Amino acid sequence: MKSGKIILRGIVQGVGFRPFVYAQAQRFGIKGTVINHGSEVEIDAAGEEFDAFCREIRKGPKMSVIDSVSVEPLHDWNPPADFTILKSQDGARTGFVPADIATCEHCLHDIMDPNSRYFGYWATSCTDCGPRYSIIKSVPYDRERTSMDEFPACPDCLKDYENPGNRRHHAQTITCRECGPKLSLLKGTGENIEGADPISAAAELLDAGNIVAVRGVGGFHICCVEKTAERLKQNLGRPNQSLAVMMKPETMRDFVVEPTKEEWDLLKGPVHPIMILDKIDPESHRALSQLHNLGVMLPYTGLHHLLFAKLKSPLLIMTSANAPGTPMITETKIIIEKMGRVVDYILTHDREIVNRCDDSVVRDGYLIRMSRGFAPLRTRMDLGDRQILGVGPELNANATIYKGGFLITSPHIGNIRNPPTVAYLEETIEKLTSLTGSMPKIIAHDLHPQFLSTRVAQELAERYGATLCPVQHHCAHIASVTTEEVVGIAIDGVGYGEDATIWGGEILAGSPGNGYMRTGHLEPVLMPGGDLATKFPERMLYGILPTKDTLSLLQNRGWNDTALRILAQQTEKRFNTPVTTSTGRVLDAAAALLGICRERTYDGEPSMMLEAYAARGVAQPMEISIESREGRDVLLTSSILREGMEMLSDGISVEDIAASIQTTLAKGIADTALAGIEKTGIHTAALSGGVAINRSIRETIIETLKEAGVACLTNPRYPFGDGCISCGQVVTAGILAKEGRI
Amino acid sequence: MKKDTEVNMMHGAGGEVMGELLQTLTAFKNNNAGGIGLESLDDGSTFTIGGKTTVLTTDSHVVKPIFFPGGDIGRVAVSGTINDLAVMGARPIALTCAMVIEEGFPITDLEKIVASMDEALGEVGAAVITGDTKVVEKGSLDGIVINTAGVGVIEEEGFLIRDKNLSVGDKIIVSGTLGDHGLAIVSFREGFDLGDQLKSDVAPLWTMIEAAMKAAGTNNIHAMKDPTRGGFAACINEMARKAGVKVVVSEEKVPIRESVASAGSLLGIDPLQVANEGKCVMGVAPEAADRVLAALKNHPYGKNAAIIGEVIEGSGVVMQTRIGGERFIEPPLGDPVPRVC
Ligand SMILES: [Fe+3]
Ligand SMILES: [Mg+2]
Ligand SMILES: [Zn+2]
Ligand SMILES: [Zn+2]
Repeated sequence: MKSGKIILRGIVQGVGFRPFVYAQAQRFGIKGTVINHGSEVEIDAAGEEFDAFCREIRKGPKMSVIDSVSVEPLHDWNPPADFTILKSQDGARTGFVPADIATCEHCLHDIMDPNSRYFGYWATSCTDCGPRYSIIKSVPYDRERTSMDEFPACPDCLKDYENPGNRRHHAQTITCRECGPKLSLLKGTGENIEGADPISAAAELLDAGNIVAVRGVGGFHICCVEKTAERLKQNLGRPNQSLAVMMKPETMRDFVVEPTKEEWDLLKGPVHPIMILDKIDPESHRALSQLHNLGVMLPYTGLHHLLFAKLKSPLLIMTSANAPGTPMITETKIIIEKMGRVVDYILTHDREIVNRCDDSVVRDGYLIRMSRGFAPLRTRMDLGDRQILGVGPELNANATIYKGGFLITSPHIGNIRNPPTVAYLEETIEKLTSLTGSMPKIIAHDLHPQFLSTRVAQELAERYGATLCPVQHHCAHIASVTTEEVVGIAIDGVGYGEDATIWGGEILAGSPGNGYMRTGHLEPVLMPGGDLATKFPERMLYGILPTKDTLSLLQNRGWNDTALRILAQQTEKRFNTPVTTSTGRVLDAAAALLGICRERTYDGEPSMMLEAYAARGVAQPMEISIESREGRDVLLTSSILREGMEMLSDGISVEDIAASIQTTLAKGIADTALAGIEKTGIHTAALSGGVAINRSIRETIIETLKEAGVACLTNPRYPFGDGCISCGQVVTAGILAKEGRI
Repeated sequence: MKKDTEVNMMHGAGGEVMGELLQTLTAFKNNNAGGIGLESLDDGSTFTIGGKTTVLTTDSHVVKPIFFPGGDIGRVAVSGTINDLAVMGARPIALTCAMVIEEGFPITDLEKIVASMDEALGEVGAAVITGDTKVVEKGSLDGIVINTAGVGVIEEEGFLIRDKNLSVGDKIIVSGTLGDHGLAIVSFREGFDLGDQLKSDVAPLWTMIEAAMKAAGTNNIHAMKDPTRGGFAACINEMARKAGVKVVVSEEKVPIRESVASAGSLLGIDPLQVANEGKCVMGVAPEAADRVLAALKNHPYGKNAAIIGEVIEGSGVVMQTRIGGERFIEPPLGDPVPRVC
């Protein structure tokens, strides 16, 4: 009889690893024990079919990630008479906890089956599905260390839990109507509505046009049907922003273009993200989205499935419950306090949300927001022995920690600009360090002197006695794509540059270890009024094209004389007109030129609206001018906009001009990168930055490079936008540390 | 950010960068004459003569332009020094006046400047009792630099007021509208025609502060400072930091003139981040706050005074916005750096 100690390391918690091992032991007649040490599973096994058992074990259950397997001989060990699961122990914490998982098919079946004891129960889950990160307080992942600790399993649940033949064998979140968390329906003001089934009542209220806050996995959603959209936007003070919707898969064909097979897999898989899909008719459903596309997700919890079973409306608007730029609300008392006037009713439950987790957003297979289901994201990378924290940038931030060969990135945090979000960043860092048991020795942060995340980094460095490592924003963008030597293309809205101007359209040749050389960039232009120019993109247009024509255009649009005069004077005198090479600002100016967006009411509005128009237009060829300044290649964006203005007066359609500007800008950026490739002899490109979310710009850049025989790397595991910055910061700091430079 | 090796304009802008330069400039070992010394970086410092606490302060003034709506460099030079004494609770007694003048400077302008200084002195009963004059070659400075130093006395025990003693529960009072001087100077200097003519608030505040102190009673004004360079934002952050407390300000209650707000929004300048020359910020014991407010409002320079917030435990300065959100009031860096993506 063969025996041995098998040790598996990786994501082995919360994924049904021990029940999986148990089942295999039964199958192969193996005797022994299995125990979970936090991020490793240890199996003492003996049996005739030991080798076959080992082969199967290496595959792991569906949601697990196995980093390494080792088998050691066991001496002087008498195998027990059967195979048993031992209680978890604290141990090494490199494996981390899995992300939340959408309700699986089997559980959905149970919920809908009148003969199942889980019939109609909203919080049904199993070893393959259910909340994970959002309910975990500490590791190892066991019921008593999650917010399920308040709901001790009833005898029936305990029986399922202990039954090795059951799908819920050792499912930490096992629960039922008898023992589990309960729903309640409240008025917006907080009074309980007794009686009826809360789900049926909520569905009826929604169909009737009410706004209902629904407590989900990682926070509250604010929900309503399509006809209530305008009132919801009014109540939220977000008149123009697109709203994500939830619908059943069979309803989708009435709204959006059929997803690809990969997209279906993702939509229906463990993550169930919001997916941005093109509308069938770009002009349709404008109350949901003024853009040509729509964010769609499928029901992903038992509660959603039950709600949709009762709902008559084909869809529910589901937008995160938060004030703009602040974290999603997770607590019932806060939703009453802060949203009581926005919503009519509240459908809530009594299972505590320990860790907030917004919905993830995906478009064209790329992440826009990395959160529920994707994060915490774990990436294997050798950055040496020192533990490193990256606190991220300021907008669309998250945090990353490095320990013992792994990067772990938190879910999306938000804009680190106000007290609640700063507190959320601090909480998240606290959570990451305690779950991984780390004490960062290096803290990487953005170069911007005023970012609040930089302050957080400074305070933490003092507390931990850690070394600070500032990393330039766009260098972090490129470092998040690859550590190899590349010509990086970083196109986004804003990042503090090494020359104290605002960068955002940069060609950076080099690697995180050797640093990057700025071989090219967009034309430096003025931002009249600083941040004011991002709120009112017409200011940006004048910053790029400070001409009489622009002034008369603005005058025709109703600018008052004083404002116009001051704009011109301010620009001429360069009073409070910071210099920028941002790509986002050029797109803003184009949207302003075409009258598509005059005031930004949410982040990214002008460029997203421009893209929506461009999607309906046909690009015409425009001239690309690249000039050499101080040895760098400078793409003249003013020439592109000037040509756009001429096209406008020639009566060419706004859609065609929008498409022309986007395409020309993208080609120009690719050409600027190619000039850098020529200059440096580095033959691979890498693309990052929020502007790369724009499909036409991204594809044009990649295509143009390809035609020139240059491959362009992207990192689909991280967002193009600033959700990749904390990772890039840690990678850069790690490489410098490994080389002994910090 | 790289440490600068040479002095640049940011170093003088009153923001965080200036703090770095100050470390170099205050590296005196002999920095205290038996009271509040240079180490405190307060508005002024103290020493004792014949049992009386005496306050000393000094300030050099360069203003472009020299004459502007609401005042001139002379009024600024006298008011600045008087206010630094006054916010420590000291009655201004005597000032010095040193002028460095560029060759070619008009004598008539000097006459006007001196008359203006004299008028400001007269308002509070102080006097310039000694002075110094240097003339430098054309081009080696821009017009004129005026330095004044001032001596004041704490008349009653318990009326010496520091800028570092905010305490939890205090009400934050400002003596009037914020941002007037900074935006008036900027728009006048740059020739911005904003429709409304903005006026500087430059004024010597002693009599107003004296009235407030009397109304407050001993030890009730816990901390006071004048929000000059860096504006209210820099001032309140410094006060909060020195006291190790958090200040919460309500946006609705902050007095800002409509013309100043609209000029700020046209130029992208936050009125809370630009200089005031005739205002003070106080932290007052809650039971005395209404009395102090009434006394301030009774004075011509305090008509628009308001209670705008309070002190709680924690750190930093937070503004509760009109729409029910919260944002930080941050000290300006010197030059604004865009951060919106
Ligand atoms: Fe970025
Ligand atoms: Mg002062
Ligand atoms: Zn399941
Ligand atoms: Zn149960």
